[in-house]
Formats: sequence, C-alpha cells, structure tokens
Amino acid sequence: MKTSWLKTSIASLALLVASGAAVAEKASDTLRVAFTKELENVDSYFNSSREGVVLQRAVWDGLIYRDPITNEYKGNLATSWEWIDDITLEFKLREGVTFHNGEPFNADDVVYTVNFVAKEENGVKTQRNVNWMKSAEKIDDYTVRILLKEKFPAAIEFLSGPVSMYPNEYYAEVGPSGMGLKPVGTGPYKVVSVVPGQHFVLEKNENYHDSPKGNPEITNIDIRTIPDVNTQMAELFSGSLDLIWQVPTDQAEKLATMDQFTAMNESTMRVGYLAFDAAGRSGDTPLTDVRVRRAINHAINREELVGALLKGKSKVISTPCFPSQFGCVEEAAVSYDYDPDKARALLAEAGYPDGFEIEFYAYRDREYAEAIMSYLNAVGIKTDFKYLQYSALRELNMKGEVPLSFQTWGSYSINDASAMVSQFFKHGSLDTARDDQVLADLNIADSATDPDIRVEHYTAAIKRITNEAYWAPMFSYNTNYVFTKEVAYTPTADEVLRFATMSWN
Amino acid sequence: MAHTNINDPLLQEITGPTPGQMLRRRILGHQGLLIGAVVMAILLIVAIFAPLLAPHDPYAQSLMHRMEPPVFLGGTWDHPLGTDHLGRDYLSRLIYGARVSLMIGTIAALISGVIGTAMGVAAGYFGGRVDMVVTFLINVRLAMPVVLVALAVVAIMGGSLQVVIAVLGLLLWDRFAVVMRASTLQVRRREYVAAAQAIGASTPRVILSEMMPNIANNLIVVVTLEMAHAILLEAALSFLGLGVQPPTPSWGLMVSEGKNMMLFEPWLVLIPGAVLFLLVLAINLMGDGLRDVTAPENRS
Repeated sequence: MKTSWLKTSIASLALLVASGAAVAEKASDTLRVAFTKELENVDSYFNSSREGVVLQRAVWDGLIYRDPITNEYKGNLATSWEWIDDITLEFKLREGVTFHNGEPFNADDVVYTVNFVAKEENGVKTQRNVNWMKSAEKIDDYTVRILLKEKFPAAIEFLSGPVSMYPNEYYAEVGPSGMGLKPVGTGPYKVVSVVPGQHFVLEKNENYHDSPKGNPEITNIDIRTIPDVNTQMAELFSGSLDLIWQVPTDQAEKLATMDQFTAMNESTMRVGYLAFDAAGRSGDTPLTDVRVRRAINHAINREELVGALLKGKSKVISTPCFPSQFGCVEEAAVSYDYDPDKARALLAEAGYPDGFEIEFYAYRDREYAEAIMSYLNAVGIKTDFKYLQYSALRELNMKGEVPLSFQTWGSYSINDASAMVSQFFKHGSLDTARDDQVLADLNIADSATDPDIRVEHYTAAIKRITNEAYWAPMFSYNTNYVFTKEVAYTPTADEVLRFATMSWN
Repeated sequence: MAHTNINDPLLQEITGPTPGQMLRRRILGHQGLLIGAVVMAILLIVAIFAPLLAPHDPYAQSLMHRMEPPVFLGGTWDHPLGTDHLGRDYLSRLIYGARVSLMIGTIAALISGVIGTAMGVAAGYFGGRVDMVVTFLINVRLAMPVVLVALAVVAIMGGSLQVVIAVLGLLLWDRFAVVMRASTLQVRRREYVAAAQAIGASTPRVILSEMMPNIANNLIVVVTLEMAHAILLEAALSFLGLGVQPPTPSWGLMVSEGKNMMLFEPWLVLIPGAVLFLLVLAINLMGDGLRDVTAPENRS
C-alpha cells in the first residue's frame, strides 16, 4: 500500500527532473490538458461523460449555437431557422463549410446524421438528446427540415447542444467505432490522434468557418487521461501540463495561493442528488415508504455540504433540475430543512425506530458520498457502501438493482428542465420513481409550445416529485479550473472547456 | 525435590538454572523481542480500550473543522493529531483503526493457522497419499498471487470487514502448511512418539499431546509472520477501495483518503502510515524474538 503512493511520488519526481527541458510549451504552441476520467468513445453520441462533451464542442458543430454568456441562440452550421409548424423546423445551411476530411457540408449530412441518431436501434447513449426527432428531409442542397415526433419546444436548445452534425459519407463508412478512433467534424479543432481512453491530440482547424464559437488561437491541444489528481498537480508543477480542471476544491484553494497559477471557479449545471428506489424495483426496501424518503431528505445538512465541502459557486438545490433551466421552478419544490430529530421521528413512524441497513452506491466524489453517508448513519441508517465506475453503476441502475445512490446529472449543459426531469421521470430504465402523475405532467410540459403551459406542468411535476421525495436533491456543482499564468481563459458556467476561446498570455 | 529449597545457592550451583529460569533469562536478554512485545502490548491495550482512550467519536463528522493540522504543525490540543477530510478526529480514528488492524490480523492468522496446521500435520504424520494431496494443494495455492486473488474475490463479493477477514484467512494458510509439514516430519520418528504409539495412545492424542508441544515454537513464528502479512494486505485492499468500507476506520483507508491531499497535507498519509509501520515492525520483532528464545537449539 505504501509502495503505491511511493511509486506515484517517485514517478512525479522523475517527471520533475525529466521535464526540465519541456517547460514553457507556449513556444511550441501546444496546450497540454489533463482529463480525469477515461473517455469510452470519442463519438459524442456514444458516450455520456463530460470529457465527451468537451471534445464534442471542439471537434463538431451543431446547427445552432447558444452563447454561454448571453444565452442567445446564434446560427452555426445553419444561418437561419424557422418553425414551419409545431413539429417542423426548417434550416438554411451555411455554405462553403467543409469537414476536416475535405467532405463539403450540405443538407445530405444533416439528413444522414439526424436519421441515424433518431433511430432508437442505433443505440445513441443518451436517448433524451435525440429521441424527440423523427427524421430529416432535404429540400435543396442548403435547405433542410427536421421533423419532430411531437411538439418539443426545447428543440432549439438541444440542437445547439448535444446534436452535432456528422459527415454522411464518412460516417456511413466507418460508423460509431470508426468515428471514435478517427473523428471527423467541422469544428474549430480537428483530431490528429486518438489513443482510446488515454490520449487525444487536436490541431487547429485552419479552415474554420466564421462560427460564433470563435476562431481558435492555440495550434495544438494535447489531452492525456491522468486519473490521479495528485499526479495531475505534480505535472502541473513540473510544467508538463498547462491546464487542469475539475480540480477538487481543497487542492484548488491551495493552488490559488501560488503565484504561477490562475485558479478560477465557475458554477455548473450539474446537480448532485440521492435517488431512491421508490418504485421498489430492487426489492421491498424501506425506501418505498415516503416517510423514509422524507426522513433522509431531512437528515442531510445541505448548507454544511455546500459551505464546507463543495464551496465555490455551488448552491443548495431543492429541485430535481438546475434552477436556471427553463421550467425549473424553484418555488414549486418542497424543500426539506436539516432536522435529524424529525428524520428519526419519521423513521420511527415508518416502523424503523432503530433505523435499517441499506446498500448505498456512488460513482464519483467519494468524499461527498462519505459525508452524506455520515448524515445517514447519524439518524440510524446503516449504509453498505459500494463505490463503482460510472458505467457499472449506470448498468445496475438500468436493471433496477440500486436501492439508494448518490447521483449527479449535468444535463449536457442544456438550459431546459426537460434535459433533467424528463430524462429521469418518464418511466425510462433510469426512472426509480415510475409515477404516472409525473409522467402525465411531463408529457404535456415537454411538448407544449405555450411557455406558460410548460411552466405550469413542470411546476406540477416538480411539486409532486419533491413532495413524494423521490429524490433528495442536494447541491449544484462548481468546477475549478487551474492553469498556468501563460494561459488566458475565462471559463463559462456550463462545465465545458472551450479550447477555441483559449489563448496565450 | 519437594523438601529442597530451589533458591539455595549451593543447589543452584550444582543443578544449574531451571528451564523456566533459562527461558526468562533468554527473553529478558533479547532486545528485539522486548521492544516488539512492549509496542504490541501498548497497541493491544489501545485497541481493547479504544472507547475509553479515544477523545472523540471516530464517526462524528464536522465539516466545519475539516483537515485541521495536528498539534505539532500548529493545531490545537482539541484534536492532537488533527482532523480528516470530513472533520473527524484523526487520533480517535487511529485508535479505532488499531482494533480493525489487530482484529483482522488475529482472526485471519487464526483461520489460516487452523487450516494450514491441520493440513501440514496430517501430511507429515500420515504421509503417503495424504501427503501427496496436501503437497499438491500447497503448490496450487503457492501458484496463486495472493493480492490478485484477494482483489478479485473482494471485487466480486463486495468489500466488508467480514469478507476481508474470510478471504485473507482462506488464502494465507500456505506457510503454515509448509512449515508444519516439515516440522511434523522431523518429530514423526522420534522415540517419544514411538513410545506413545507403543502404549496404545490414539492418533489424536499422539499428535496433540506428544507432537504439538514440540513443534509449537515454529507455529508461533508463522502466526506472527502471517498476522503482519494479513494486516498489510488489509491495508493494501482498503487503500485500493476494496477492503474495509468507509466509514469504518482502517489505517489503509486513512492513507487512501489522505492521498488526495498528499501534496499539501502530507501528515494525513504519514500518520496512519507510520503507525502501520510500527505495528508490523513490532509483530515481526516479536516473531523473530520468539523463534530465538524458543528454538530447541538455543535451549542448551
């Protein structure tokens, strides 16, 4: 056990020595970045991780772009768009754009991409991102229509986020696995090499069109997966990394005090919550009783979690969505104040005066999970802690074998409540509540075109979800970005690294 | 003898010291054994009286008081060894962690000792087919890398105190079997064994009351070695997140939890690491010492 950290420190020492010559990569115009998690597949439709979103925004473009600061929708691969009717969107496409492999971008690419991803059997990982589209049809080379399955007002938001355009000929030939190894898009950066899960090298797209994403300045981006935060920091010290992100707050606070680094904190849309198996899919656990779920809600000191552990721009959250999202009405949520006595009383009322024992799953932020566990233990709920990889936990969750878990969801930075509430409460495989009333409200809210009606039904759904305590929403995340003084970058509040807006000082 | 005073100096000069006196003299003259025994005794007392000694509840979380430094790095006496990443008292967790380590070490060594001794003695005593089977099993077991097998089993079964103890207990019997088999073979043909058999003593009686006392010294040494081995393996498994699960205080887990802040707060790793080192060192010193003072060749 000692050897393990000994090895790490020896390795970092060796790096310190070896990298003496490699300091100041500004000279070679290469920005070196670390990812913490392994990215399963670079093809953005076939991963569901934040690292994937970062690469997706760098390598591909969507039809529309939402300015992260003003939240204004701007044309990217499309120059204009209009609703023909409630379920038909027509786009005028930008002319003269080419993919990284030289293939020109036109209506065929849009039609192919939309038809491919909208088909459920093609297995796009996050169905919510694409399953509102029925198909696309070409009007002429630079005019295309996307047909919706039903009314879906958040369409523009989704089209400016996770739905990016792929080259039809290339994608038809290589498919998702080929795209994962040799990604081709229209984005500000093209992919030079991919070592799956480990190493990604990007190069500036010299022919990038006049996109609202801005024109890239830094020539090369070199991304390596380094799972251990200490190793990341050691490499940052030694000058073999220029930028790290998702840095735990404790470390970021220390790094911020050092002169050679800039540490910035930004809020994200990611919400941390406890999911309860209220539907009893994992067996007849105490969590099927609403009093137990409310008790757990009362047992957690959210203020303390945010104030002492998450810090930064994190906030206490009581909604099953991020408050800035359209339809995420904070007033609708029943909030549970920290009251361990009340929690114990509720448990006793539910027939568990001495608490009970339950499996508790988590996949990230072990520290937060431990803190939450400690609150549960304090009111008598004994936890059998299981810490799994994200994909493993997701799998178990889909099979309905998880009674209680600490989950987070970043909504793909989509500023609409449907990206979160509707992802988890519409009786999909990840729905732990399976409430018909919520489903009915969400069905209306997701497809109504009148904003007032949408708000009304999201409000109803949120009220029901929080009153029944299907989840215990707890806090929103923040992300710490730490980079050397040579790098100029202003992080945005959506947990996306935007290489195109980075430059050297 | 009943009437003579054994403290009579004249008599002592004639007969020499009794075996008990000789043993005592050997023990007191063995520094390593004494140091090991004293450290072990202290840790044992700490483990047994943990609830009385710990200044705080080792599970009491106080997020407002996270990672306070120990007193020698500018902390307060309220938390002499500081607090961990959840604001739990480090000293209290260390004290309760001693329980976990010692319990795992003792029980795992006990389980593997019973299995290994039974197999080894049976092989040595009966020989023939039994010996062949046992030797084969030992070879099979030796061919398996302990850490890898333990990791795999714990990964499948899920980590918990009981699983770790069971896995280690069921894996670490090889050295017992090897040593006990060799020792049994040595005493198997001795006259006293033959004598016992000649007067019609049953096999269990021959093994338990004639042979065991004469091979027990080897057993003691292996017990201490395996105890230290089990404690280190538990720490390794817990460090990898597959051993004892939080919030149970375990030294390996404490090192693992402190690891993230290692660059800035190295004491989070150093304190549990040092105690673990001390415990394993003490057990090994004791094992070596016991071998030295009990080995038959040193008796004369």
